[in-house]
Amino acid sequence: MKGRMKKLLAVTVAGMMTVGMLAGCGNNVSQESSTEDSTETKGETKEVSIWHYFEHEATALEKIAEKYNELQDDIHITCTYVSREELMKQYTIGAVSGELPDIGMVDSPDMASYISLGVFEDIDDEIKDWGDLDQFYSGPLSSCMDSEGRLHGLPNNSNCLALLCNMDILNAAGIENPPTTWDEFYEVCQKTTNAADSVFGFAMCAIGNEEGTFQYIPWLYSAGADVTTLDSAEAANSLDFLSKLVKEGLMSKEVVNWGQGDALNAFAAGKAAMLESGTWQIAQFDSGDVELDCNYKYALLPKDKADASVIGGENFGVCTGSDAKEECAEFLKYMMTAENNADWCEIAGKLPVRADATELKSFWTEDERYAVFNEAMNYAVARGPHESWPTISEAIYTAEQAALLGEKTGEAAMKDASLVVNPILEEVPIATVE
Amino acid sequence: MTLKSKMSIVAKKRLEGYGFIFPGFLYVIIILGYPLIYNIILSFKDTSVKNFAKGGSVFIGFQNYAELFQDPTFLLVLKNTFVFTISCLVIQFTIGFLFALFFSQKFTFAGPIRGLILIGYMMPMSVTAMLGKNMFGVTEGVINDLLMKVGLINAPVEWLVSSSTAMIAVIAVNCWVGIPFNMLLLTSGLTGISEDVYESASLDGANQFQRFFYITLPLMKSSILAVLMLGFIYTFKAFDLMFIMTSGGPLNSTDVLGTYAYTLSFTKYEFSKGSAAAIVLFCCLFVIGLFYLRLISKEDD
Repeated sequence: MKGRMKKLLAVTVAGMMTVGMLAGCGNNVSQESSTEDSTETKGETKEVSIWHYFEHEATALEKIAEKYNELQDDIHITCTYVSREELMKQYTIGAVSGELPDIGMVDSPDMASYISLGVFEDIDDEIKDWGDLDQFYSGPLSSCMDSEGRLHGLPNNSNCLALLCNMDILNAAGIENPPTTWDEFYEVCQKTTNAADSVFGFAMCAIGNEEGTFQYIPWLYSAGADVTTLDSAEAANSLDFLSKLVKEGLMSKEVVNWGQGDALNAFAAGKAAMLESGTWQIAQFDSGDVELDCNYKYALLPKDKADASVIGGENFGVCTGSDAKEECAEFLKYMMTAENNADWCEIAGKLPVRADATELKSFWTEDERYAVFNEAMNYAVARGPHESWPTISEAIYTAEQAALLGEKTGEAAMKDASLVVNPILEEVPIATVE
Repeated sequence: MTLKSKMSIVAKKRLEGYGFIFPGFLYVIIILGYPLIYNIILSFKDTSVKNFAKGGSVFIGFQNYAELFQDPTFLLVLKNTFVFTISCLVIQFTIGFLFALFFSQKFTFAGPIRGLILIGYMMPMSVTAMLGKNMFGVTEGVINDLLMKVGLINAPVEWLVSSSTAMIAVIAVNCWVGIPFNMLLLTSGLTGISEDVYESASLDGANQFQRFFYITLPLMKSSILAVLMLGFIYTFKAFDLMFIMTSGGPLNSTDVLGTYAYTLSFTKYEFSKGSAAAIVLFCCLFVIGLFYLRLISKEDD
């Protein structure tokens, strides 16, 4: 009995170890996509799958897909929601196994890496003659290009960052208007911070991932630096300014663990007077996902040397191995016509990626909240595009965290970041569009 | 029976034996062997986002390993992994053992209460990690609130915010899961010891301590070894807890081999380096596994 028990335990241990091995090395055995088998014959309707991570926008996307399904008989589109984390992992695994959807959605700064990994097809030949391309804003469009400037997809929507103010708190502190410069901003932070009620002047997201970099970029550019000049005094200044807010208790140290949603929750709970807020958050207020029971006002982010913001947004690309590459590219064009882009962005509460789409509706200029973002887009910079953007981004958010936690001065933190970033950019500079 | 026919029966039996282990062997080769070997090969190349699709990745020998062991971040991660594993092991084994002994006493509700303690173990790790994240919050976390009310601290501790305390919080949450697990396995070991042994020992005049050190511990040796082994493996390859609770931060202070290898491969697309980190993780566990198998086979002899 005892011997058997021991053997049983030994087997269990061996089993656990093998599980450990698998967890360590998550590589899939190559499998060919089964969806490809069903659509051998030509002339029939091809099944096309779209993977996306839209949540409240999902119905709007499905509507466009259904409309297109009725319009033509070449392809039939099915949209599948995959959580963002999972989707990114699937692309990486799919790069090895070939198991990819026909059309995939991706966060714009990640696109360059996935193009490099071979996840997205080169569809430059299919869409370069499409006259509408001139209408696309260069920032979002460039994020769909490889290092040679060839298109692998189309941008779908844009967003950027602005300053959201709780006017009740600001007015109570005797402030009439949102701050416009760093000095004013600092003063407002001081006046609105109330340590006794744990109300902070400002909340942002400084978490250790892409979101943290996204929210930091405007401060970096506003100080007069950019990703190529991290070792400059201006870059160090931008970090020192934010660290000062934390050190003086004007911003919670917990921002280093806050995603943008967490920071928004703090603002909505009245625990912060101002928030670095993204375009998509307006839709969250309007739909009631996040309840704001205060008077609020959007303004451009405060500026030091220059106005600055950062471009976010999603792209759609045709994935490698799709047997309906041309048809998929056609659908992307259809989805991104001026009318469709305008309709879709209005429903989803996003900014269009085409100049002519913005002009189609008064939505983005009449709603004064969207108007602020529309203006901020003029100053918004793109992240990358660069195939090693995740590594660059890691260096930046690590520097920010080290400074905010008081472990390094802004200068030392930025020096370390530049030691990582500069060699990468020397080897392959960030692609620029004329 | 002639010698010849006897031989053929032996040979037949042997063949039959191979037939039985063949499916298992095949399973191991395909499901475990292939990815493992693929991973080892990958760790000796320089595959990354730069040359993945374009091709042109070459063998670079042990360069990935050399770079890893010169990288201060990796050394910190390695240290974190051992600090995390050993602290968790010591705490959860000690408390788990005490609980097991305590609940083996026959008092009312011993069974139901033991069952309730298991809830921590039954909960999905992702839920536990989210709970931990909220409980260790600085201003609104219940842990700080309790400690302040009891008077142990004057100001809130910056648990997950500070790189010096984040590891403590993660260890605490992991122990919360590990204690019931240890208790459960050790309880089954305890019930395996016959009452008669204790009875005759007390007749011979052995006191409580003697009974524990000379009867309970030696008879529990195999269960204890198994618990420590399972605990080590389970803790050493921790991933989900850190991934959800801290994402390895702040500043890599709670990054362990599992999360670090994931970040390298899936966030930074440095596939070869990620594989190398995973192989380091595997080697550590492999050594421990061999050590355990030796102990087990020694005992069987």
